[in-house]
Amino acid sequence: MLAQQYAAIKRDLDEKGIVFSFSGYLSEGILYSLGEALREKMTLEETDAPTVRRVFAVFVEQMQNIIRYSAEKVTGATTRAIELSAGMVTIGMEQNKVFIVCGNTVHNADVPRLRERLDHLRSLDREGIKTYYREQLREEPEDGSRGATIGLIDIARRASEPIDYDFDVMDAERSFFCLKVRI
Amino acid sequence: MDSLNIPATGRTPGVTFDFAAGHLRLHGESYPDDVATFFGPIFTALRAYLAEPDDRPIRFDMELLYFNSSSAKVLMNIFQMLEAVAKLGRPVSVSWCYEENDESMRELGEDFSEDLRYVAFSLRDVPSGAIG
Repeated sequence: MLAQQYAAIKRDLDEKGIVFSFSGYLSEGILYSLGEALREKMTLEETDAPTVRRVFAVFVEQMQNIIRYSAEKVTGATTRAIELSAGMVTIGMEQNKVFIVCGNTVHNADVPRLRERLDHLRSLDREGIKTYYREQLREEPEDGSRGATIGLIDIARRASEPIDYDFDVMDAERSFFCLKVRI
Repeated sequence: MDSLNIPATGRTPGVTFDFAAGHLRLHGESYPDDVATFFGPIFTALRAYLAEPDDRPIRFDMELLYFNSSSAKVLMNIFQMLEAVAKLGRPVSVSWCYEENDESMRELGEDFSEDLRYVAFSLRDVPSGAIG
């Protein structure tokens, strides 16, 4: 029964082309370890260096978004050093392209603004994304954003297709947010 | 002014700021868990150095293999500080190194150099594995 249950989860991941997945509390320490494992694995598989860098860069931005903005987190009273945030990250292959999907809980109140940013990014072509990046590089971060805008632009820039996103309403307070990036 | 030397770690860059020689260098990778904590002392030292009355040339070697978006904002601040002293007449050159197949890093160099008018900016491609 036990093996059967987990084999079913594993099979489901395999069928979706997922080679790597993590769900639970994420921290900067976990980001670092998973990131190293991801790079080592891709390098062993002789993935070309620019692709390894792009996947890694998108992975870091997505993970840091979860760590900073997940609506489900445990923090120390005085420091950010022990920020633990719930979320999930999966990396897989689909039609010969690497994809990264991240998911985390967000407050419903933040959804419209996030949606607006993502729709704006999706509407831009490569040159538009580049110009937007240059502008944001010179802007002061918005209040409470801790640099989220430039992080999303950086992700869009390294993606080979427009980024995909979706929200699933959980209750009156929260939604589950997903972001899929193809490299 | 004393040099500032911080050895690189897996996720923070190596910093070698030889203020006496006017030679500043950042190398390795930059995605610190807390950007403000890591770069705070670097800014303090750099600000003090740039505030000294001195017109000897400054050379800045940017040899990062990777930096995340929060580090990008910090790098931009450093460049703006260098541009400010260059505008006042101090010769400042920035050399942005990237590995020859690293298109993203080359493009980022272009983004950063866009509004530098007084800093002499150059992009330099180096063979894979030559920096870091």
